[in-house]
Amino acid sequence: MQRMIEFPTAFWVSQYTIRFAFQEEISAENSRNVRLFRTFLQQALSADLLEVVASYATVTAYVKRKVALQPLREQWYAQQASIEVSVSHTPIQIPLCYDEEFALDMQRVMDYTGLAYEQIKQLHLAKVYRVYVIGFLPGFPYLGELAEALFVPRLAKPRQRVAASSVGIGGAQTGIYPLDSPGGWNIIGKTPLKLFQMQRAQPFLLDVGDCIQFYEITKAEFRQMEVNSY
Amino acid sequence: MRPLLLVRKQGVYGSLQDQGRYGYRAYGVPTAGAMDRRSFQASHLILGHTDNETSLELFIGGFEFEALAEATYVLTGAESICLVNGLPIEMWKTFQLKKGDRLTIQRVVKGAILYLTPYGGFQAEQQLGSRSCFPLGHMGESLQKGHILYGQSVASSTKTRGLYAPYRPQFESHRVVRAFKGPHFHLFSIESQQQFIETTFQFVSGNRMGYYLKGGVLQLQQPRDILSEATQFGTIQVPKSGEPIVLMADAQTVGGYPIIATVHEDDLDQIAQMRRLDTVKFTLMEV
Repeated sequence: MQRMIEFPTAFWVSQYTIRFAFQEEISAENSRNVRLFRTFLQQALSADLLEVVASYATVTAYVKRKVALQPLREQWYAQQASIEVSVSHTPIQIPLCYDEEFALDMQRVMDYTGLAYEQIKQLHLAKVYRVYVIGFLPGFPYLGELAEALFVPRLAKPRQRVAASSVGIGGAQTGIYPLDSPGGWNIIGKTPLKLFQMQRAQPFLLDVGDCIQFYEITKAEFRQMEVNSY
Repeated sequence: MRPLLLVRKQGVYGSLQDQGRYGYRAYGVPTAGAMDRRSFQASHLILGHTDNETSLELFIGGFEFEALAEATYVLTGAESICLVNGLPIEMWKTFQLKKGDRLTIQRVVKGAILYLTPYGGFQAEQQLGSRSCFPLGHMGESLQKGHILYGQSVASSTKTRGLYAPYRPQFESHRVVRAFKGPHFHLFSIESQQQFIETTFQFVSGNRMGYYLKGGVLQLQQPRDILSEATQFGTIQVPKSGEPIVLMADAQTVGGYPIIATVHEDDLDQIAQMRRLDTVKFTLMEV
């Protein structure tokens, strides 16, 4: 039996923006609710909705005109059970090469955590991560939660340029750079996949609420996959 | 498509902008687009454009262009000293450039941003449904010396059109701007809440991502972290320093600083046109 998810606290941010807030915490449950609610809004508001941004605990709807909240609340209680099924939780597999060539900050992470290279890899590979937020750059996913043993502060002085597809860790999260850009995360590897490619039918590989799992590849495999990367 | 202008001096900051890029904020792509939409739209109204055409958005001054072909243009936005071959021209009214003419945008007199628009709009690649430049996302490039700007249309218009003075927006050095209470307003101390509406804030610096204001140190009742959440053009966030930042058109789509207020959509042009030493007072209203 499914437990009813409460209608979130609604707040008009400006004339055309409504913020829906769930519990203020970072949790898989919150993230599931947020994604579910986002899907609900897309269906319920459809023509009135410009776009919707989901984060850790909030769903923000940019609307074209004022919408009535009471009917929306009633609809939410009536329809949430039927929406749940459309949300998939199968982890997306992301190949990752931890070779020294790409793992620019591995030494720093080893020094900070006191762990060996291999241990860091295994801890990083062991978890299924959830995309809690996308921001900072087009397509940059904030992935949580990292094993506590891997919590390392971000670089005191961000790099001027981090290569696209680099994988970093910072605080309780791990992330993947979609573009060459400045950045302060500790770089521990690189994926041959492109997270953001304008020409692709779906330019963005990941969406808020997606689950992902890294799997290790060798440098030779990396080169091969990079060539084939769509 | 035809070459219209060669950039001789790149000025403070110039970029091609249209109405903005919508539908990708969920993927971390800000809307970008013209910061002073009123002046931007006025330029297209004057030229009789019905589509989402592209203008060149220019900050402060220091720009010079050489005309590569004959074409009709209009300049709108901040009151500025604009010259063709050294002679002043009027803004808000179409003008012609002939091949070899020099157009100089010397400097703004009031406000900060102006729009240069050719008949038919500038040409730029559509990226995610918009021609707006957003360099951080590798969508377009800001204006550089030596760039050639192309026009969308090969046709030209010789009719003189303009906007009557009473309809032109005014940008004074002090403005009162409407804002709505932010989702974290109640977390600020009572004094800071009061201060926010009583203080005259001064513009310190800014760009298309954010405008930095000073005038008071706004503080939470209790220091605490906020979970990142969606922001928008007009979000007023307060970092630990206590000095507010107004997020602008190119700002990141989510932010982790407490949001004290959000600028009313219709007053964004007044914020966008702030320049050094300009001041603003916020007045809170209900949505």
